[in-house]
Amino acid sequence: MKLLQLYEDVCVLPDQDLVQENANVDGKSPLGKLARLSSEVSKELSQTYLMSERSKQAVSENYLYVHDADYYITGSTTCCQIPLGQLLKYGFHTGHGTIRSPKDIRSAMALASIILQANQNMQHGGQAFPMFDVDLAPYVEKTYERQLSRLQSLPVDWDDAQLEQLAEEETISATYQACEAFIHNANSMHSRGGGQVPFVSINYGTDTSKWGRILIRELLRATERGLGNGETPIFPIQIFKVKEGINFHEDDPNVDLFREACRVTGKRLFPNFSFIDAPFNASYYDGMHESEVAYMGCRTRVMGNRHGEETSIGRGNLSFSTLNLVKMALVSESLTDFYRILNRYIDIGIEQLVERFDYQCTRRAEEFRFLYTQGVWRGSEQLHMQDEVRDVLKQGTLSLGFIGLAETLKVLTGSTHAESREAERIGLDIVTHLANRMRVAAEAHDLNFSLLATPAEGLSGKFVTRDQEEFGMIEGVTNRAFYTNSFHVPVYQSVSIREKVRIEAPYHALCDAGHISYVEVDGSLAHNAEAVESIVRLMRQHDIGYGSINHPVDRCGNCGLEGLIDAACPTCGEDEDIERIRRITGYLVGTMDRWNTAKREEERARVKHDAHSIRR
Amino acid sequence: MRILSVVEESVVDGPGIRTVIFTAGCPHRCKGCHNPSSWNPAGGEEVEVEELVQRIKVSGWDGVTVSGGEPFLQSSALAELVMACKSLGKNVWVYTGYTLEQLEAMHDEAVQTVLDYADVLVDGRFEQSLRDMGLRFRGSSNQRIIFLNKV
Repeated sequence: MKLLQLYEDVCVLPDQDLVQENANVDGKSPLGKLARLSSEVSKELSQTYLMSERSKQAVSENYLYVHDADYYITGSTTCCQIPLGQLLKYGFHTGHGTIRSPKDIRSAMALASIILQANQNMQHGGQAFPMFDVDLAPYVEKTYERQLSRLQSLPVDWDDAQLEQLAEEETISATYQACEAFIHNANSMHSRGGGQVPFVSINYGTDTSKWGRILIRELLRATERGLGNGETPIFPIQIFKVKEGINFHEDDPNVDLFREACRVTGKRLFPNFSFIDAPFNASYYDGMHESEVAYMGCRTRVMGNRHGEETSIGRGNLSFSTLNLVKMALVSESLTDFYRILNRYIDIGIEQLVERFDYQCTRRAEEFRFLYTQGVWRGSEQLHMQDEVRDVLKQGTLSLGFIGLAETLKVLTGSTHAESREAERIGLDIVTHLANRMRVAAEAHDLNFSLLATPAEGLSGKFVTRDQEEFGMIEGVTNRAFYTNSFHVPVYQSVSIREKVRIEAPYHALCDAGHISYVEVDGSLAHNAEAVESIVRLMRQHDIGYGSINHPVDRCGNCGLEGLIDAACPTCGEDEDIERIRRITGYLVGTMDRWNTAKREEERARVKHDAHSIRR
Repeated sequence: MRILSVVEESVVDGPGIRTVIFTAGCPHRCKGCHNPSSWNPAGGEEVEVEELVQRIKVSGWDGVTVSGGEPFLQSSALAELVMACKSLGKNVWVYTGYTLEQLEAMHDEAVQTVLDYADVLVDGRFEQSLRDMGLRFRGSSNQRIIFLNKV
C-alpha cells in the first residue's frame, strides 16, 4: 500500500469523497480519520490473505463490489433483528456486570438503547428491533401498576376510577418521556468506533393491546416533537407495519395509529411503511407477532430460513456483495451475451459470498460476546465461548445485490423500464433470472442465499467513476455521477407516482433480501396527511413490501419555520442557517455537508412529483 | 378553457393527492402574487374541457383542484368542468380571488352552478400583510376554506 498516498488523502487535505464514503460518519473528526486509516489497512489484509484470485479480479475489474470489506478480516456479520422482549425479560450482561429485568418503561427503553449500543460493536451493519411495541408493552403495564400502587399508598381519598385515571395519565407521561429519551439517545451516542451513531431501526404498529397502543402513540408524539430545538430526528429509522384487519381498514383497532403515523411522516419523514399483507410477506404470517415481517431501515429483509424458524427475529444478513449490471451490459454484444456475462459474475459472486462465509464460520463465539452469549443471535445459546460459530451462522442470509438496472436497460434496449414496455419486460426478466439463480444457489450450498436490491451509498458513485474511465461519457448511462439504485426508476425521469409504484412493485417480490420504493413529492406534506395515506394505500394495492415517502423537510435555524425553504426563509429572511433534511439510501441526513459528490448530484437530479405547483 | 398548466399530482392544493388545473387570466393582481405570469387572460393555451376531464380520469386520484389565475373569469367552462368532475366522483376544490359573498352577488348562473357542485371554495385575495406560511392550503389568513357541500 502506498502509505504516503494514504497519509495525504486522509490526513493532509481530506477530499470530500474519500472521507465521506458514509453519510453517517463525520469523516473530518479524529475518529473518522482513524477509522478511515484502519479500514484501508484491513481491506488490504483481507485482499492479500483471504480473498480468492477470481473474487479479487471481479472486484478489480469493477464487476463486483464487496460491501463492508474493511470488516472482512474481523469475520463480523452485517445486521440483526434483536429479540428485545427476551433480553429485557431475562436481563443481560454487557461485560461489566449483569443487568436485571426492568420494572418500568423508562428503564426498559434506556436498556433498549444500551442493547443497541452493545450489539452495534459486534457487527458492521444496522441494528433493529422487530416488534418494538409488543416487546415494550409489558413495561408500560408495569409502569401503570407501579403508579397505581404508589397512588393508593398516598393519604388521599380517591375512588377507583380516579385512581385508575391518574395512574394512566402518569403512565402515558412516563412513556412519552421514555420515548423522547430513546430518540435522543439514538441521535447522540457515538458508539461505533467512537465516530458514528448506531444505525438503528424499529418496527412497530400491530400491537392492539392498551399498553402497546400507548407506546406507539407516545413514540409518534415524541417523533413529531423532534429533538431539543425541534430538529427532525435522524434515528431511529421507524417502520410502521401495515396489516389489514389490524390498522388499515376503517374499523381496524389500530387504524387511528396508522393515520397518526401518516401525519407524523408528513412532518418528519418517518415512519416508513412495511406491508405484512404483500403476498411474499403474508406467506410467513400466522397471526403471531413473531411471524410479522421486520425490515432493517435501509431495506434488508430476512424471512426464509433453511435452518430453522422462518422469522426475522434473532437473525440478519451475514454479508452482501453487489453486481455492476451496467458494466456487464456495456461489454456485451447482445442480450444473450449479456446473460452469459451475467451468469459468469453471478457464479463469482456466489463463490465470493461462500468464501467470506467460510471465513466468518471459523470465528469463535468469544469474539462477539454480546451477540452470541446473550441470546441475541438465534440459536447462539448452544455455543460455548471457544466454539466456532458455523452452526448458528446458517440462520443468516448471504445476499447478492445489483445496481443500475435502469442504466443497464438503457444500454441493452435504448430505454429504461420507465420509458418502454419492452425495457420493462426485459428488466423483470433479468431480475427474475437473478432471483432464480439465488434459489438454485440456496439448494446447492444449503445456505440462505437471497437477492438484494442494494442500497448503494458510496457505491453509486464508485462503479460509475471507474466505468467512465473505461467507456467514456455515455448519454443516459455513464454521464452522471451515480448509477441508479437497484431496480429504481431513475430519479431524473419524470413519471407519475402511480407509474413509479406500478413499475417498481413486482421487483419487491423478486428481491427477497430486501427492497424499498420511494415516492418523491415536492412541497411540504406537513399539512397533508391525506396525501401520505393515499400513497401508502397505493403501495399496498400494488403489493409493495416496504416503502417510504421523500419530501423536503427544511427548517430555519433562526425562526424555526419548517417546510420547504428555497434560498431564504420566507418568514425571517435567514439564508444561511437552514437545516435541510434529506434521505440517502434509507437514512436521513441532517446536513448535506456529509454527502459525497455522487449523492449530492443524485439529490439535485431528483424529479419531484409535482415540481411546478404555483402555490406552495 | 384557457389554461396555464395542469399539475397531475399536487400535494399542496388541498388534501390528498390532486390534479390541479391552473387557469389563465387574473384581474386581482395581488401584491406578492407567487405567479404574475398567470395574470394575462391571453396567456397559456386553449384546451377543451373534455380533454381536461380525460387527463383527470387518467391520473386516477380522488381530488381535483381548479386554481389560477382566476377560475371564475371563465365561469361557464368552469361550471362544465366542475360538473364533469363531480360526475366522475371527484372531490373538487376551487380557488378564487373573489369572496364567496362577491360570487353570490354576481347572480350568474354558471357561477352559481360551480358553488352548487364544488366541494370546497378557497376564497379571497392574497394579502401580503396577512401572509402566513403555517396555514394549511392558503397563503394569507384572510382567505377562507369554505365547505360548500355540508353533507
